[in-house]
Amino acid sequence: MEQVVLSCRVALADFLLDIDASFQSQVTSIFGPSGSGKTSLLDTIAGLREVLSGEIKISGRTLFSSSQEVDLPPQERSIGYVPQETALFPHLSVRKNILFGSNRSSSSRGIADISLNHVAELLEINHLLNRPVTQLSGGEGQRVALARALLSRPRLLLLDEPLASLDIGLKERIIPYLRRVRDEFAIHIIYVTHNPAEVLSLADWVIMIREGKVVTQGVPHEVLVSRLVLSGLGESDIENVFDARLVSSEREAGRSRVRLESGQELFIPYVDKPADCFMQVRIRGDDILVATKRPEGISAGNILSGMITRIETVDGESILRVDAGSIFIVRLTASAVERLNLVEGQEIFLVIKTRSCLVL
Amino acid sequence: MLFSPDSWHITLLSVGVALISTLFILPFGIGLSWLLARKDWPLKGMTETLVLLPLVMPPVATGLILLKIFSRRGPIGQWLYEMGIEVVFNWKGVLVAMAVMSFPLLVRSVRTSFSEVNPRLEQIAATLGASDLKVFLTVTIPLAWRGIIAGSLLAFSRALGEFGATILVAGNIPGRTQTLSLAIFNFVQLGKDEEAYALLLITVSIAFAGVLTSEWLTRSKGA
Repeated sequence: MEQVVLSCRVALADFLLDIDASFQSQVTSIFGPSGSGKTSLLDTIAGLREVLSGEIKISGRTLFSSSQEVDLPPQERSIGYVPQETALFPHLSVRKNILFGSNRSSSSRGIADISLNHVAELLEINHLLNRPVTQLSGGEGQRVALARALLSRPRLLLLDEPLASLDIGLKERIIPYLRRVRDEFAIHIIYVTHNPAEVLSLADWVIMIREGKVVTQGVPHEVLVSRLVLSGLGESDIENVFDARLVSSEREAGRSRVRLESGQELFIPYVDKPADCFMQVRIRGDDILVATKRPEGISAGNILSGMITRIETVDGESILRVDAGSIFIVRLTASAVERLNLVEGQEIFLVIKTRSCLVL
Repeated sequence: MLFSPDSWHITLLSVGVALISTLFILPFGIGLSWLLARKDWPLKGMTETLVLLPLVMPPVATGLILLKIFSRRGPIGQWLYEMGIEVVFNWKGVLVAMAVMSFPLLVRSVRTSFSEVNPRLEQIAATLGASDLKVFLTVTIPLAWRGIIAGSLLAFSRALGEFGATILVAGNIPGRTQTLSLAIFNFVQLGKDEEAYALLLITVSIAFAGVLTSEWLTRSKGA
């Protein structure tokens, strides 16, 4: 992917948004607590906010530059923006909403070739096309807003916490659609969230911001274990999310076997799906046990050997980054780390109950 | 009497000029309302006050001001006269009085409906490539149309009931500038109660229908 340069100073009500970042990743997550300026940053990229100074470039195209006196209006920025509240046009049908930006002039197009049918199929919204948007569920609305943004053939897709307003059930269902979009179109996606599980499941680069400043940035697994992020997590869960393919299923045994991208295999609760079908598996960082010797006589279905690559302890909580083929993030109490004398570089075993592996 | 040629003529003049007045102020009202709802400029409060003034001033006072402005020697009247247009004491005077008196009602209603349109929708429409004009025509106007129609109906009803300003600017000339309101006043003055009541019935019916429609549109907004 080509480079995205994001450098801007914007006066917000409470603080100065002062961002300096550049990245080449396809999916970049802007991660941070609420009120840290994430939505304002997306608005700035989309040209909806006045910028004091800076430079915004996408794939070599300058959208804003105070030194070159460039400030493209939102119409010419080729950005597909899916705001948190979806902002679907209430007076138009789903179809008209989706087609609203489809006749954007060809000079500012990103995705070269795209059709309503293609997108509707990809996001499974064919059956919704003739409905008024007022009759959509939360998840359907998000998918329609996503389709509308895609049909405008953007060079960059901005997603503002697309899962935040949804309940867990819907949340689990929309992730695959976002992944499909990511895999189908070679465009940059900037994705705002305050949920670490979402970062792990979608992004290949993460920029952590707080009160308008970049605190840290890097590969999700690295950044999410850092002390800075840890202290900002609060009560929210730390989750491991893995891409996986189904290997086999045994109904009577109540379990299925999946292979992670790293080649490692895990037992998960039985799923009634064809072999080789794609899925995502989520394991909470609190649901993983650590043992210094290979445990025996234990009911847990998964025992993985691995090595501790990092330990961070803040306020009596320890976050371990463990390389066990795939990278696992484990949360323990500081006392557990002390009792077991866990140190970085140590070989250990991860114990994971089959039922702790949730299928998304 | 209700269907006499005279009462028809009076009704036609009133309704016709009120309609022209409403259509005439509509584009200005929409434009100004949008500016008031979405933009800021120095002395914006002053603009608002000026527009709303006819709503609170005695109509006769407004009429007197209009008479001074539009008379043959007035600042606008002189200019119009040179172009061969005379406003005072003919139907155009009625038009000016109606337009000025009903304009604030239109603006108040339309402005509210513009403020109720979520600016986020307009912003997102812009990111989708729509020009400012396209955003206005395809997002803002369709979402505010109830307020626009309601405001127009209110303005029309107000124009129809206009009396004080009209009588100063246009006079009360039967067959030329005599509107329903003026005619009713005239008939009552002359003791022709029957004729007055006939016109009253027509006036009440039209106004009633107008306000009713306007209310219905405003109330069914949530639907």
